[in-house]
Amino acid sequence: MLKNKTLLVVFRLVLGGLFVYAGVVKVLDPLGFAQDIRNYRLVGQSLSFIAAIVLPWLEILAGVALAAGVWKRASALIISGLLVFFILLTLVTIARGLDVECGCFGALSRKSGFGVILEDLGMLFMGLCLLFAPERRD
Amino acid sequence: MSETRKIVRQALVIGALGVLLGAALNYPLVRRFARGEFRETFLSQAEYPGIRLITLREAEDLWAAGEVVIFDARGAGPYGEGHVPRARNLPATESKLKFPPNILEIPRERTLVVYCEGGDCQSSLALAKRLHDEGFRDIRVMTGGWEEWIKAGLPVEAGDAEK
Repeated sequence: MLKNKTLLVVFRLVLGGLFVYAGVVKVLDPLGFAQDIRNYRLVGQSLSFIAAIVLPWLEILAGVALAAGVWKRASALIISGLLVFFILLTLVTIARGLDVECGCFGALSRKSGFGVILEDLGMLFMGLCLLFAPERRD
Repeated sequence: MSETRKIVRQALVIGALGVLLGAALNYPLVRRFARGEFRETFLSQAEYPGIRLITLREAEDLWAAGEVVIFDARGAGPYGEGHVPRARNLPATESKLKFPPNILEIPRERTLVVYCEGGDCQSSLALAKRLHDEGFRDIRVMTGGWEEWIKAGLPVEAGDAEK
């Protein structure tokens, strides 16, 4: 596992920042995000609505905590868990041949596909490094 | 307390905070949802006053009267295999791009009917929004889609008709 302290701090700031950004753009348009979730055709109206209300705040809280260095591993756990879910979701979507916007970064969203999975894998790498970083006693 | 349990507990606290914050800060929306809104669509009537959802029967009547322009939001493949007679193909995935001129010259007050596969397909809704943004003010979304049209034994036209 990575032990380079500086690199881990960079990972925290980048990953935390990305999640805060992703959360904020969704908070600004909850109904739009609910439709994005609905477009995946995996859950119905009600679940899409509830996820659209909760998920952005989960991203923001975990992102802020990670970037600020508070409860680092817990927030890294949440973020890694979300990323694993996003990757599986994207794979299922590709397998079903659905043509949907990923809904990941608001207006910057693009078609849900392998590019999205690559990005998620990159972020997941950072998340796992942070989750399993050796505990420092300082 | 073991490290793992501590981390999981902290993660659960963050999760619970997320639920609370989301519910509190979206309270007006949550109330509208509790009153039964958003069960069929997330379209806000205030934002898209010109979009209405219609049943198969209403769509059939409009189609039979012949006064409406019908759009098939599915891809070119399924459209070629069969579509509502006189419907034009306008895949919603392409609708992010500019509309072709023959669409833009349609008078904005014309009634438009859009549909997609049926079931829980969402592309007709996406297309309806794009048309609304373009200035059309009477857009009807046939929510049952192609699936219901076929099931009802209504007329079908095949081939890559004019776009």
